[in-house]
Amino acid sequence: MTHSLHRSGDIDSQKKDFNWFMYQTKGVNDKNIKDKALEFIAAAEAVGSENWGDVKTGPITRFKSEEIREKLSDKSRIRGVFTRKDQVVGFLKRIKEKDLGQSVVITGILSEVLPACKEAGVTPHSINYSLGVWGKKDNLPDDVTLSITTMCGHHMIPPKFVKHVMKQVEKGKLTPEEGAVKLANFCYCGIFNQVRCADIIKKETGARSTP
Amino acid sequence: MTVINREKCVGCKICQTYCSVDAIRYVEADKKCFIDPDLCVECYVCLRQEVCPKGSIEPVELTNFYKQFQHVISDPVENHGVTGVTGRGTEEVKTNDVSGRVKKGEVGICIDMGRPGMGVYLRDAEKVAMACAKAGVKLAPAEHTPLAALMTDLSTGKLVDECRDYRLLSVIVEGQCPEAGLPAVLKALQKVEKEIDTVFSLGLILRVDENGLNPTINCLDGLGIPQPHRGKVNVGLGKPLSLA
Repeated sequence: MTHSLHRSGDIDSQKKDFNWFMYQTKGVNDKNIKDKALEFIAAAEAVGSENWGDVKTGPITRFKSEEIREKLSDKSRIRGVFTRKDQVVGFLKRIKEKDLGQSVVITGILSEVLPACKEAGVTPHSINYSLGVWGKKDNLPDDVTLSITTMCGHHMIPPKFVKHVMKQVEKGKLTPEEGAVKLANFCYCGIFNQVRCADIIKKETGARSTP
Repeated sequence: MTVINREKCVGCKICQTYCSVDAIRYVEADKKCFIDPDLCVECYVCLRQEVCPKGSIEPVELTNFYKQFQHVISDPVENHGVTGVTGRGTEEVKTNDVSGRVKKGEVGICIDMGRPGMGVYLRDAEKVAMACAKAGVKLAPAEHTPLAALMTDLSTGKLVDECRDYRLLSVIVEGQCPEAGLPAVLKALQKVEKEIDTVFSLGLILRVDENGLNPTINCLDGLGIPQPHRGKVNVGLGKPLSLA
């Protein structure tokens, strides 16, 4: 699963888009993870993670934080979103200090993520590099739609629904932020960046934050 | 499998907006929608989002192994039975600091077939897997990646014939090669990308130095492949830390 890796869109827009992850390794540190997961959530919330979730329950845009925390299990996968480099730095410093032993991954534009690692005092071990889309690209959706749908790497967001939300915003029936949350709710993992999405919708529709 | 109950469907077509792969058809003659079983990837978005105001979209028991495989791989909520991992069921770089799966001097090849959002027939995944194997990629075994469970021979990437016409939202072709062998693999991918009826997103996993660099990536320049902007960085906080 490389569901955060292949996002698309303007590089400047992607520079405001980071994902954080806690991972357990099968057979090594995958038992009784709830307390560690709660530490990760606390560290993320302390620096203002805009979205987070557990694929087994869903994202905080759709479910209450308490419900997601309560349902945490060894099958959970905890992950979320930052929109600023300083959040990444603060998060990594906190997690390093806690020394929980779980794998930690940060996805984003490398010219932002690698300096953040250095500032936080952590040493990158391995990188999965995105080499983009190959093959028969003729039938792909347009670039704006892709910049939104690729924020759910499992592709749970139908391109037609993006168009539908855009139209609702254009008609003034939804604010860009409300539209972005509707789209975020399709991504069970909680890695959809609804803040960036609202910015994209605003740019595309010319809409403002209030209808 | 998901179906639309014809007794309940009122033909409003709302469900079409929510299908991730455009598999819902409307029949003008009887003013009802139906799910095309050849196009549906069993992602269950329409079910989980409860998109039908009449509740006409219903799950039906998945009747064979390949339908079950299709659903487990296309629906990220499900855990894959062998790897134990949700989503497409692979670990790739996520736990490499602990698992040491991709070691120094090696490259992890991670090909998301059908992504972004196009879907993939397994016959196209087979073409890419076979091209990789021929170019020197050691394909990942079934305990590491779900697609291997459908391979008759890991050394060739050939899939069982029965699965080839099943369509998934995405599936990962995963393997490894020596760093020195990467250019040959990329050339093979440049060739096979013209022979498939879908897209794939390509990821390369490398061990990096303390600055997050590995000169192996420079080989892209000679092949006309742009240098990557994005990366998924394992920051080395897992324990016990693999130094292999």
